[in-house]
Formats: sequence, structure tokens, C-alpha cells
Amino acid sequence: MPTTAGSGANRPSRTELLHKLQRELEAPDLAVFGDTCRVGRYGAFVGSVIESHSQLPRAMDYARSHIAELALKGRSAASGTVILADRLSQGKGRFTRSWHAPPGGLWGCMIFADTLLPRWRGLMPLATGVSCCQAVREHCGVEAVIRWVNDVLVEGKKLAGFLVEGYREPILGEEYALIGFGINVNNGEFIGELENSAVSLAELCGGPVDLAGLTTTFLAKLACNFGILLAEEEFFLREGRFSGVAGRHLLLQRWLALSDSVGKRIVYGFDVVTAPQYQAEVVGIDEYGGLQLRHGDGTLTTEYSGEIRYL
Amino acid sequence: MASELALEEIFSRYKADPFDYVDVHSVHTGRVTFKAALGQEVVAPSGEWLQVPGTPLYEIDRERNPRLVGSQVNGIVAAVETQLDGCFVEAGVKLMTIKHPLKKKEIIENILKDVLFLFPAPETAKYFFAMDIQSRIDKKGARAVSVEPGDEVLTMSLMKRDTPIYYTGERGVIYSVYFKPGVSVPQGEPLFGVCAPEKLPLIQKIITRVKAEWDSEH
Repeated sequence: MPTTAGSGANRPSRTELLHKLQRELEAPDLAVFGDTCRVGRYGAFVGSVIESHSQLPRAMDYARSHIAELALKGRSAASGTVILADRLSQGKGRFTRSWHAPPGGLWGCMIFADTLLPRWRGLMPLATGVSCCQAVREHCGVEAVIRWVNDVLVEGKKLAGFLVEGYREPILGEEYALIGFGINVNNGEFIGELENSAVSLAELCGGPVDLAGLTTTFLAKLACNFGILLAEEEFFLREGRFSGVAGRHLLLQRWLALSDSVGKRIVYGFDVVTAPQYQAEVVGIDEYGGLQLRHGDGTLTTEYSGEIRYL
Repeated sequence: MASELALEEIFSRYKADPFDYVDVHSVHTGRVTFKAALGQEVVAPSGEWLQVPGTPLYEIDRERNPRLVGSQVNGIVAAVETQLDGCFVEAGVKLMTIKHPLKKKEIIENILKDVLFLFPAPETAKYFFAMDIQSRIDKKGARAVSVEPGDEVLTMSLMKRDTPIYYTGERGVIYSVYFKPGVSVPQGEPLFGVCAPEKLPLIQKIITRVKAEWDSEH
């Protein structure tokens, strides 16, 4: 696979990342854990290794090759390894959609050794969207919102997209989740289907944004929110409920505070762009992050995959 | 491979009793209250997107969160574990049985399930064929597409988490597909059935015979 080492100019330092994570643990909503160190301890794996490349075809493919190469040597990839690329030459979204990833954006993926219990794995994509939305708001002061599952939008335009892909390494059989992220930062030109539907932070802020700083903030938020996922799982197994208000999962509380999906009229589809299925109203999300919908005849359903567009 | 004798036995069974007996189990732990009685006719979910729930069968209450569970099939309630009414049950406890009248197509599919290698859903999720498999299906039809162990055959989609699923089973053609893109499949339910090349004549024989023998009856 053709790769080239990046300059590292945009690569955050591990020390800086851990300092940022420490500050994340001061968030008031984490007080419910009493000992917030648990969240920090659980989340500190993010960025255990940070690789920077000037160009990759796809960060997810690179991650899979990296895991497989290590497995051939009888070794495992470090959970939390972050792979960054200045540019992706074959970036893609879901299904057959393209994702334009020229220099200036924050492109990459994180390797997560998937130790979450299966029923909570669906919250990983939500944690990723929450982390981006928080990072953009804090670093740039931009009022970003989340559209279920984890699209980050500003003024109705897509600022960032995420894709989580499972990967079972074939030699040792270890299971990983590859958390792919694409955030439009200083890249300003969008082509094809993205021309009228995407936006960059530089466009919103009226000038270039500190990419390295944003990367550090995003990874620190990711560390904190993955820390919450793991700490909440432990909390649930011990207490039989989550730590948030009325026993709700803290990550879902964060998601709800950042999302504008609830209350919206939407069109739903497994692939909503090519095959929209029906219209409904979003009434909430359930404990697994499923989207609760009210139909025209008053019946309620919950969707656990697929995507929505606002009407 | 199912023998001629075994097939005769299967045919006789369906002739004598053309019904499926669908057991209904508790979806999770909780206190159960039955909502359907013995002999009651029940219907499956309906509506364009199956958004209208089936006839309520039971309510299960966990931590003051009641959940009404509806029937997934049409039929008659054939048995109810009435001694469990009002009791706390573990997940997966059998609560009732629904006698579902089989259509000819369902009889064929049921018999095929005894003959084909069934590839089960690893998790409750939505599934779609891997792009390579899908393009081959689009060009030639599923029954012209062969798979072998190790092939990336499906993508499992759950909460925008896509996981490639690798085929583990006998080599053969994709004979039956039991899922629809965009429709959730419960864990353990078959996603598709694979037929080894040497079994194809047997399959054809089953279909021909069911079509001929059940024509006048269903």
C-alpha cells in the first residue's frame, strides 16, 4: 500500500493529549462517577500511538493492513492507535458514496480493540459524533449539532462524517472497531454531490483554523467519551443502571444535549439517499441509541441502523 | 445430504400437519402479564413498513418499564404457559405457542431449510451483501453466485457500525435469501441458504413435488 510519512506538523503530542484529557474530566456531568479518574483511566488509551502520513488511500484500509501485519508477527495492534493522513486519495463514505479528503482536513481513524459488551457497541458511533461536535464548539465557537446517528452539521450542511467498521483479524481472531473520521477544517473546495451539502470550519470561521489544536481537542474528547462508554459499562454491571439522570447512559445525555434530531420531521432510509423509505417524527432515542419514531398513524417504531434527513 | 427416505418423511409430516408452531419467549427478564388467551386469533405486524404492531401477546415489566410484545405471525394461540402469568421470568422463557397455517411457499422454504446450509445472523442487525457479491447477484441472480469459506459475503450494519461478515460453511450457490436490505434480522435467524452443487437436483425435486401436491390445497 503506498504510504508516505507525514511531516508530523499536525500530529498532537501524547503529553498534550493527556493534559487535555485531564481537563475534560472536570466537566460537571462527570461528577456522578464520584471518582472521575475512572473515566480518565478508561479513556487514556486513545492516542497510545499516533501515526501521521502525508497521504493514504484510505485510513481504514491502512489500519486493517497494519493489524494484519502485526498479527503475522504474533503481535496485536495497540488499542487507541490513531492514524492521521494529510490527504486521502480514495476516501469514501457509506455505501458507494465518495468522501473528498484533500489537504487541510482532519482525516484518519482510530483502532479500538473492541472490548465493549455487544449490546453497548452501538454507542461507539454516537461517542464519535459527540466528540467532534464538542471539539468544534470548544475550539472554533461554531454551533455544530448532531443528526442521528452521528453526522455533524452546521446550518444544515455537513461538517463531518464518521464510519465505524468492525474488523476481525483473521490470524489471532482479535476483534477491532475502526473508528473512521473526516472533519472539514481548512479544505474549502467540495466537488460533486458534496458541493452544496458540505461546509468547512475555515469557511465558517472566515479563515484558517489551527488544525493541530483541533486534532488534539478532538482526540481528547474522544478519549473522554470512550472513557465514559467503558466506565458506564462497568457502572451498569455493578449497579444495574447507568449513572446519568434517571439511570440514563451519560453518553446518551451528552448526545441529546448536542443533537437537534428530536422533534424533527424526517425521512428515513437504510440508504436514505438512493432509497428513502418513509417519513416520521423523531420522538427520542432509546437506551441503545436507537431512533424512536412516531408515524402518521400514531404508531411508534425504533430504528437501530439506517440514516435520516430532515424535512 | 437429505436422503429420499428422509424427504418422504418430511413431505408426509407437512401433508398431515401443514402448520408451523411458533414458540414465543420472554424478550428479557421481568414480570409477565399475558394479553392473549388460548384459542385467540392473532395477526402479524402490518402496514407499509410493518409499523402497525401485531396482536399484543404479553407485557413484560422490568424496573417499572413495561414493554408490550406483539405477535410476529398470523395464527391461533395454541398453548399458553398460564402458570407464569404475573410471575417474574428470566429472558428466553417459553411463554406461549402460536399455530401458524403454512402457505405453499412457506412449506417449500421450510423444507429447503432442512436441506440447505443456513448462514445465521451473528447479531440482531440489518444486513446487506458485500459490494462484490451484490454486483454478481445484480448481473446473474443469486443462484448463479457461489460462495466459499472465507469470502466476505455480507456487511452487518448496526448504529452506523458496519462489520464485514465472512462466510463459514460449505461451498455452494446462494439458493435462498432470507433478509431484505433495511429490515432488521434477529440474532441466529438465517440470512441465506447455500446449496452445494450436488444437491441442486434434490432441491428441484422438492420444489416440483410441493408445487404439484399442494396446488389444490393452498
